[in-house]
Amino acid sequence: MASNDERLRQVSLARDIVSRPELGSVFGLIIIVLTFMSLTSISGTFSAMWTNPIGIQAWVELAAFVGILAIGAALLMIVGEFDLSMGANIALAGHSFALLLIFGVPVVPAIFITFCELALLGLIIGTIVVRTGLPSFIVTLGFWFASRGLAVFLSQTLVNQSRLSVTEQLKPPAGGGEDPSLIDNIFAFDRAFGLPFDAEVYYFAILVVIMALMLHKTRYGNWIYAAGGDPQAARAVGVPVNRVKISLFMLSACLACLLGILTVMTSGASDPKAGDFRELHAIAAAVIGGCALTGGYGSVVGAVLGAFIFAIASRGINFVPFIDNNLFRVMLGLLVLGAALLNQFLRNRVLKT
Amino acid sequence: MTPTIQLKGVSKFFGNIIALKDISFEARKGQVTALLGDNGAGKSTLIKCLSGVHTPDEGAILIEGEPVRFRSPRDAAAAGIGTVYQDLALQPLMSVSRNFFLGREVSKGMFLDMDTMNEVTRTEMGKLGIDVADPEQPIGTMSGGQRQTLAIARAIYFGAKVLILDEPTSALGQKQQLEVLRTVNQVRDRSDIAIIFITHNDLHAKLIGDRFTFLNRGRILADGERTEIDTDNLRNLMAGGVELAELETEFKQ
Repeated sequence: MASNDERLRQVSLARDIVSRPELGSVFGLIIIVLTFMSLTSISGTFSAMWTNPIGIQAWVELAAFVGILAIGAALLMIVGEFDLSMGANIALAGHSFALLLIFGVPVVPAIFITFCELALLGLIIGTIVVRTGLPSFIVTLGFWFASRGLAVFLSQTLVNQSRLSVTEQLKPPAGGGEDPSLIDNIFAFDRAFGLPFDAEVYYFAILVVIMALMLHKTRYGNWIYAAGGDPQAARAVGVPVNRVKISLFMLSACLACLLGILTVMTSGASDPKAGDFRELHAIAAAVIGGCALTGGYGSVVGAVLGAFIFAIASRGINFVPFIDNNLFRVMLGLLVLGAALLNQFLRNRVLKT
Repeated sequence: MTPTIQLKGVSKFFGNIIALKDISFEARKGQVTALLGDNGAGKSTLIKCLSGVHTPDEGAILIEGEPVRFRSPRDAAAAGIGTVYQDLALQPLMSVSRNFFLGREVSKGMFLDMDTMNEVTRTEMGKLGIDVADPEQPIGTMSGGQRQTLAIARAIYFGAKVLILDEPTSALGQKQQLEVLRTVNQVRDRSDIAIIFITHNDLHAKLIGDRFTFLNRGRILADGERTEIDTDNLRNLMAGGVELAELETEFKQ
């Protein structure tokens, strides 16, 4: 039997491509790469940024750092929520981990305990959001202050320091015995295997694959889209909307925890300013990557591309001396606006074609 | 034959408000029971009692002769009550087949079995006369009538014995309204499903109804088979009969 609506066209393949949420960010990435390739060619720094390992490390590692948070930001935006506390939670996790080490807790239990703490924090944030019905923007704004404040308060009260150095605790003990650096090498495994990038790059790659598969190929991913698209409709067919939302707040806190611990392991210290403003960078990456602020639309892959756009623009500006550094923020602002506009246009096309 | 669903003296109160009082009616499989009434007549409350959103304060609901008591919409769905709400409970940006299976997805191992879900969606929609060329197209691209059909097909596929349609034609254009009526007729022809068709459109009720139940101010005003009801006078009954006549005299003065 033929379709009852003759106005429906067969647009399968074309629409498939156009309807991908990350389409806008693919264009964005191409434009950013070409722009910085030309700019670096002009200023004679092309090889320093694009072929020199240190130059490549600079933007790939930043992309991974922002990208790990952006995965959480994207999933939360798809489910219709925000987490402004991610950056502050990096500092909280780092401080918790460092304090545990200072008080003599071995590395592995310290990692485990810190992850449990941050998961609990995510559970608390998520529960407040779904139970009170307050916008997550407001709730997590509260935790944006509270998390970093708590981190500094604890460290100053307990050890009278706000920056916690743990290089001693991460070194192998002189008289043999358990070697924390071994654990360090397994968790932050880049040095153990002599890999070219910091560990977060590999965690990032693994997380992207897992989360993208989860989002598009599992029932849980289906529920994330549904809970964000129309929560009432999702509830009506039995989707546990509140549980999905709470679990994503927990994931977001755990991603911040991963970055907090990795930062301490790499630098040997926990800085109270760690992760400052990273939540906004992650949200920018998710927006550039095509996530709708209203929920129900977006992708992990788009957020990843958004993170690369952010990182290339952010680091690239250092390779182009004739452009003022402050201009970078102007550019980034325009980039976010432009991407949001393009994505809105593309999203409307999905419903029209 | 035992009615598929039967209400005996059902009442529902909200504080001092009597939303429903002493409602008794029945719906049989292979029949369309048209439930008519004006705004505020208690249609929505009645649907919510049937679909497990509200629990009646008095009276009993019987399914195939067995008394049932629903504590949640899930209970009602498990007992074979499929409710298609006016706002449809669909996700406009998600695909046709993902909407069809939302909340009851088919997985193969860890991952969704999209092939099976697409195939079932295509087949089930085909049974109701809609040819879905691409089950992965976003549902936002479908017409309102086709979305109604999807919601109906979904309810039937997941085991509805009683299909409750809440004003399925009211939000649609004229042509799509007829599409939905055609779909309802197709479901009736299966003769294994009792359809409760809620409407305030007397023309549609007259076209498709086998039985008519009129609600007015929370009570049953009239109830009967097509042969027992003056189908030309549906509009009068729905508006509460007397009131319309009163208005007529008022205008003439």
